Amino acid sequence: MIGRHGLERRLHERGGEREVRFLYRDRRPRIPVWRDGRLQVVRWGNGRRQSRFLPATGWTWQATVEQGYWRNIGAVRVEIPATLGCDRGVWFRIRQGIRGILVPDERGIAVAYMVCVPSTHYYQVMTRSPRMPLLIDEHI
Amino acid sequence: MSKEGRETAIGHLDADCFYVSAERVRDAFLNDKPVGVLGNQGACVIAKSYEMKGLGVKTGEPIWEAMVKCPEGIYIKRDFRWYEVLSRMMLDLMRDASRRVEYYSIDEFFFRAEVGRGETFEGLARSLRDRIQECVGVPVTVGIARSRTLAKLISDASKPHGARAVLDAAGEERLLADLPVTEITGIAGRRAERLSAWGITTCLHLARADRALVRRLLTASGEALWWEINGDPVQAINCRRPAHKTLSRGGSLGEATDDPTLLYAWLVRNVERLIEELRYHRVAAGRLKLVVLYKTGHSAVGQRTLALPSDRFDVLLDAARPCLRQAWARGATATHMHLIAEDLAPPGQAALAYFDPPDRRLRAEAVARVKERINGKVGRFAVRSAATLYLPAIYADAANAYDICDVRDKMCF
Ligand SMILES: [Mg+2]
Repeated sequence: MIGRHGLERRLHERGGEREVRFLYRDRRPRIPVWRDGRLQVVRWGNGRRQSRFLPATGWTWQATVEQGYWRNIGAVRVEIPATLGCDRGVWFRIRQGIRGILVPDERGIAVAYMVCVPSTHYYQVMTRSPRMPLLIDEHI
Repeated sequence: MSKEGRETAIGHLDADCFYVSAERVRDAFLNDKPVGVLGNQGACVIAKSYEMKGLGVKTGEPIWEAMVKCPEGIYIKRDFRWYEVLSRMMLDLMRDASRRVEYYSIDEFFFRAEVGRGETFEGLARSLRDRIQECVGVPVTVGIARSRTLAKLISDASKPHGARAVLDAAGEERLLADLPVTEITGIAGRRAERLSAWGITTCLHLARADRALVRRLLTASGEALWWEINGDPVQAINCRRPAHKTLSRGGSLGEATDDPTLLYAWLVRNVERLIEELRYHRVAAGRLKLVVLYKTGHSAVGQRTLALPSDRFDVLLDAARPCLRQAWARGATATHMHLIAEDLAPPGQAALAYFDPPDRRLRAEAVARVKERINGKVGRFAVRSAATLYLPAIYADAANAYDICDVRDKMCF
């Protein structure tokens, strides 16, 4: 998997354990998703504007998902497996993963967005970010 | 000291980076990685792993400073409820191992160390350390010595995961010579300056100093430390806390409210918290006082004397209800509530059937016991009064299970 997706350059070590870092600020942002029982590494968002019609971000509000915006353009819900998150330089523990959506762009390439909610008070103080990822079965 | 062929000394057991270790008990992913536990709503590091400490992160430091020193650090939200569960498990193990145990703080215990023929204090220290590690999963350090102060100095100097006994004069001297005098709990700031003016900078200097001088510089409490570091135990192991005049629970209501249903829910929550405190100190309340603070800056008081001192939920709530009625101001927005137990007395002397029919008493006591046991095992407030259902947000967030001052003897964050 690491060879197939060229993940070597994303490999890091922390406390003697290897980890693969998927960062949005990467020059080719990628993110792993579980889809139909398979782990895939896909393009993360549209920050590089490869698509002319997808939003030029890497995340979307949960409210937008619930309003049906994404369903109308063929998106499906996916889970993004993660053990750690990094927001504005702060690493925090994630027990299961993050909710996401996967949507095809105009060329049929799968693009993932992370689902976000307004930050809890704790998260806002910790990261100074007004939004936080929607974690799976976890509240921080 | 020798009694029936057994030797006794004083031990100090202290968990290593307790909050971080407690998180690692339930999350092995965090092992060997730099970890910081955040308090104060995420603003500062209240505990750090040794990996993080090694990079210079200090307890109490704001997270944005810690991030600069330790960019790979992983930050976790504090969960006092979980820490208390592990703390109680450690206390139970300590009580199995020693006849006298003092619960000094959430992760620190003093205890009477006893060994029989063929056993050593060093061996006892090691077996306690290993037993806590094995049964609770938390790494601890144990020090054993002739006095409390020496035992704590030894365990502080042997961290992490140390087990050491020092009982001979030569060993004590080597220990004391290496330690700055500020390592002794109770010597810091102005007291340390006063000593330093006399050239007393190490623990050994203090031990060798003239007792009368130490008394003059540091008063009687300083003289007690002098005896202690010279191996004369003058500070006992307190299995129970000193008697309190009053105990209280309460604080901010979070969101200010004028809704009597919410105020009643807060009252019930505070009664439950107060009962925990009464039971911990093994006292009963003879009188209840309720203080409600309003947004306008006014405050109101309601009070009630109980027919007999009690630590029982039904009895105390019956007394607290009219207190709230008295302190309640219709339409006014309340911001804080404090519930205070006064006229504290030893519990269990109050069996007069005249005030309290026996069947009712037995039932209430059985309920209280079950509640206490479940909450002790599963975690605080697992079983609680349905009246508190009006405060879903407070209980939904496990981090609120402890208002900070519920954690005894720890700094407030
Ligand atoms: Mg400790």
